[in-house]
Amino acid sequence: MPDLVTLTVDDVKVTVPAGTLVVDAAKAAGIEIPIFCSHPKLDPLGACRMCLVEFVGPRGSKLDTACTVRVSEGMTVRTSTEQVKAVREANLGFILINHPLDCPICDKGGECPLQDQTMAYGAGVSQFVEAKRQKQKHYPISDLILLDQERCILCWRCIRYLDEWEDKPQIGLFERGGETVIDTFPGQPVDAATSGNIIDICPVGALTNRVSRFRFRPWELKKTPSVCTLCPVGCNLRLDERVHELRRIVARENLAVNDEWLCDKGRFLHQYVDHPERLRTPLVRDAAGEALRPATWDEALHRVIEKLGDIADTNGANALGGIASARVSNEAAYLFQKFFRALVGANNIDFADGSAVKAQPTGLSAIADIAKSDLIVLVGFDPSEAAPVLDLHIKRAARRAGAKLLVINPRRIALAKYPGAYLPVLPGGEAWDLNGLATALQAARAANQAGSKPAPAPTGKAKLETKVAVMAELRPAYDLLAAAKAPLFIYGPDAARGQLGKLAVTALSNLAVALGFGDRLAYVGAEANSQGARDMGLLSDTLPGHQPVTDAAVRERLGKLWGVQPPAEPGQSYAAMAAGGVKALYVMGANPAATVAGAEALHKLDFLVVQDLFLTETAQLADVVLPATSFAEADGTYTNLERRVQRGPQGIKPAGESQADWAILAALAEKWLASQTVDTGEVSKAIEQPDWKKKRRKIKAGPAPKPWNYPTAQAVLDEIGKAVPPYASLRWDALGEAGVQWSTSALVRAPRRVEPVDVAPIAAAPAGSFTLVSGPLLWDNGPLMPYGAEQVRKLTPTPFVALNPADLTMAALAEGRQVTVTSAYGNVTLTLKADASVQPGTAWVPANLAGAPAETLGAVRGEPVSVAVKLV
Amino acid sequence: MSYVNEVFRGAVAIAQAFGVTLKALLSSPLTVEYPEQPAAVYPRFRARHELRRYENGLERCIGCMLCEAACPTGAIHVEAAENDPEHPTSPGERYAKVYDVNLMRCVFCGDCETACPVEAVVLGHDFELAVYNRAGLLLQKEQLLNPKAPNVVVRAE
Repeated sequence: MPDLVTLTVDDVKVTVPAGTLVVDAAKAAGIEIPIFCSHPKLDPLGACRMCLVEFVGPRGSKLDTACTVRVSEGMTVRTSTEQVKAVREANLGFILINHPLDCPICDKGGECPLQDQTMAYGAGVSQFVEAKRQKQKHYPISDLILLDQERCILCWRCIRYLDEWEDKPQIGLFERGGETVIDTFPGQPVDAATSGNIIDICPVGALTNRVSRFRFRPWELKKTPSVCTLCPVGCNLRLDERVHELRRIVARENLAVNDEWLCDKGRFLHQYVDHPERLRTPLVRDAAGEALRPATWDEALHRVIEKLGDIADTNGANALGGIASARVSNEAAYLFQKFFRALVGANNIDFADGSAVKAQPTGLSAIADIAKSDLIVLVGFDPSEAAPVLDLHIKRAARRAGAKLLVINPRRIALAKYPGAYLPVLPGGEAWDLNGLATALQAARAANQAGSKPAPAPTGKAKLETKVAVMAELRPAYDLLAAAKAPLFIYGPDAARGQLGKLAVTALSNLAVALGFGDRLAYVGAEANSQGARDMGLLSDTLPGHQPVTDAAVRERLGKLWGVQPPAEPGQSYAAMAAGGVKALYVMGANPAATVAGAEALHKLDFLVVQDLFLTETAQLADVVLPATSFAEADGTYTNLERRVQRGPQGIKPAGESQADWAILAALAEKWLASQTVDTGEVSKAIEQPDWKKKRRKIKAGPAPKPWNYPTAQAVLDEIGKAVPPYASLRWDALGEAGVQWSTSALVRAPRRVEPVDVAPIAAAPAGSFTLVSGPLLWDNGPLMPYGAEQVRKLTPTPFVALNPADLTMAALAEGRQVTVTSAYGNVTLTLKADASVQPGTAWVPANLAGAPAETLGAVRGEPVSVAVKLV
Repeated sequence: MSYVNEVFRGAVAIAQAFGVTLKALLSSPLTVEYPEQPAAVYPRFRARHELRRYENGLERCIGCMLCEAACPTGAIHVEAAENDPEHPTSPGERYAKVYDVNLMRCVFCGDCETACPVEAVVLGHDFELAVYNRAGLLLQKEQLLNPKAPNVVVRAE
């Protein structure tokens, strides 16, 4: 409990913690002090002088800035005296001397603190008749942000944000006195991944959004609180709609998740929602089988159930499979797996990085725990590219809370520059290093326990003896781990794929358990709702609630809920289905045909249904394409990386006839159920009627599935509460605008014991070739990027391969040349780059670039791939 | 006596009444042979909207949407866009890409005119709004920029 201080603000007594700024204390007392430069999330500065108030002392009163003075016991503050009013009027007059009268054409107009405060505290008339200073207007400081120096009132908020939060001081003050301007450094545009936040915190219209420029006026917008679905952080944002178009996205405060920040991808990548290429009607392949033609929902859904039913009847239920994406809402994920498990009768459901990855079911204990950790271990996870707002939190912890970072990654990621240690590994080699560390720590702990007289607590954090033999390259990492009092372990899909990934995760959990922090181990997926998709059981071997399909008790419980029990055998994985392990495939939001090999496998299918926003490579091969809505057009819940279930309400009208993913599945299931009759041995009269609408399938007599009745997304969430034990206490209305974390007490799965791991070191690629390293890139060519605004599309690099400069010299290759990169799985032509963050002997090809080069080379297979790089 | 008086008063009343008639007979007629002759309107008469241009041909409208905000009936819809610096539509950075007026909703209150910071939108004198279909009452930017000369004469206030 911090010390409390009582002070008087305008005759109101208020008690606040010591160290509070007077401006915040006044707010607590319900008194507004006008501010421009002060910001609750930035350090105090006192640049604008707007918050001058009177402090009454024994020798009379004096004016001081409320945003820099901290409270003290017995302090008396006056905020509405004649003197304060006169000073405010004069100060606004000074600020407005050179502020242009751009309000009618300024995007800030209508939500501008300078406008509001001039109305509230200004003199009402101007004494100034001279010409205003001319400075640079509307020029870009990055692809996404425009600067207008004339409008700037020199509050330093953007400078301080980029310095204090981003640790990228890319904006500065230049010149002196009245000539002072804000600018970037010559030839260096702002490239911070969360730079868009400076638009939100700018108190005037000096920094404006290029993507939404002139597309809105604040008072015309319909504003809907929602959440971002581009990465698993689940930042809270606001959808601003006008005439049924999503005009702008701004950050919304949620102190537990994103503070009030948003990354540039979340802020600027939204034009895909209104893109003219959006699918607006269902499409079916015409009789000749050549082209897709528009169809009604009725026809398309009937075509789907008819063909799926035929294939199930001829080849068995296991000939049907479903590939989903972890971008979809919990409701869609739940109904997708229920459709396959309860109606089709197969466990063939998965998503990319789904059952191939060994994930901790509980996710991060809390995002707020990052700030409380003294060591953050990042294994195969690059927050700067994969989750920029998480990156902000980690940087803040490293710079403000003194947390150390232990980075275990094949590439020297940006966060490796902070105090701590960087442990270079080869892809798939994480297990070896982690196992070495875990074994050493266990040995140290055993030695410690033997040496100490009283029995240590189970999570004994007594000082570990460091006499244990550790390999020299592991020593810095070992020392950090042995000294850590509150470590946090985060790993990503790049370290957890396949057999080697399973070993790495086991070794990592051994490591966490050896330190006594098995519950502080988190998996962060690549897609926004990875956590939710896993909770919903969108996996071939796991039922809703992280229960294995082999668990008969869980199957029975679900059988009571659904009417039919899910099958007991684990289904096919994503890779098996995408490689053609099934006859018919239902793809929801995924694009397995992005690679040539993937497209060839899908060609061989008897029937392919694709449910997506756009006509992707996969949708072009489909027999039926169903138009789905984006996150902004449908209600749904999403579960973020700290298990926070958040609502993303409908903010705009759906494009064309597109429907929510869950609604399509519900409609499909209704038709599926209507088309079935239980086989009683009699010849059904319905079969004599050739009309496809009347045709009914016979199924074996047995328990019948219960009817699907989901009028709203809320109805689906209500059923999820019955199927997924940790969601049982969630109530739609109680989710509110901040979401609710589901409690791990309903699912205690934190690893408690050490499992032996049998690993061998990974051999480096043979001389002359390189080990392929892949991973996320913020501005990759992901599924929605090609449909973003022009300024956003520009940020995606042309497909490249990066080598260490030393390797480049040795191989006598030059940067910028076109090279052919060949692996056992395929070859691609890429532009060569030099990058010191790439370790010698490895070749860095980011995931999801145009043409899917990394995927073509076999990067996501979870095994080391060696590639040869040759000039074209 | 009283009878004579009454006849006399009646005669006076009739003479007065005919006096009015005689006076009107000698003055010029008020009837306007509309539409052959233009109707007379006051200078502040408010009818169909027009968008003005500057003398150099640039549009005055900057697409600030204040008219849309001021409109009590939601009759105006504006979409703004950024000027091409080589071929600007209006002075400055911003112009109106779309400017629609729905005359079926308009109550000709003139609030748009008052709100306009650049005197771009004005209510002109063209009151001849009758059309054969509803679409004719949905005015677009081109129609607003090129109004026909109104069939009116402006009288002194």
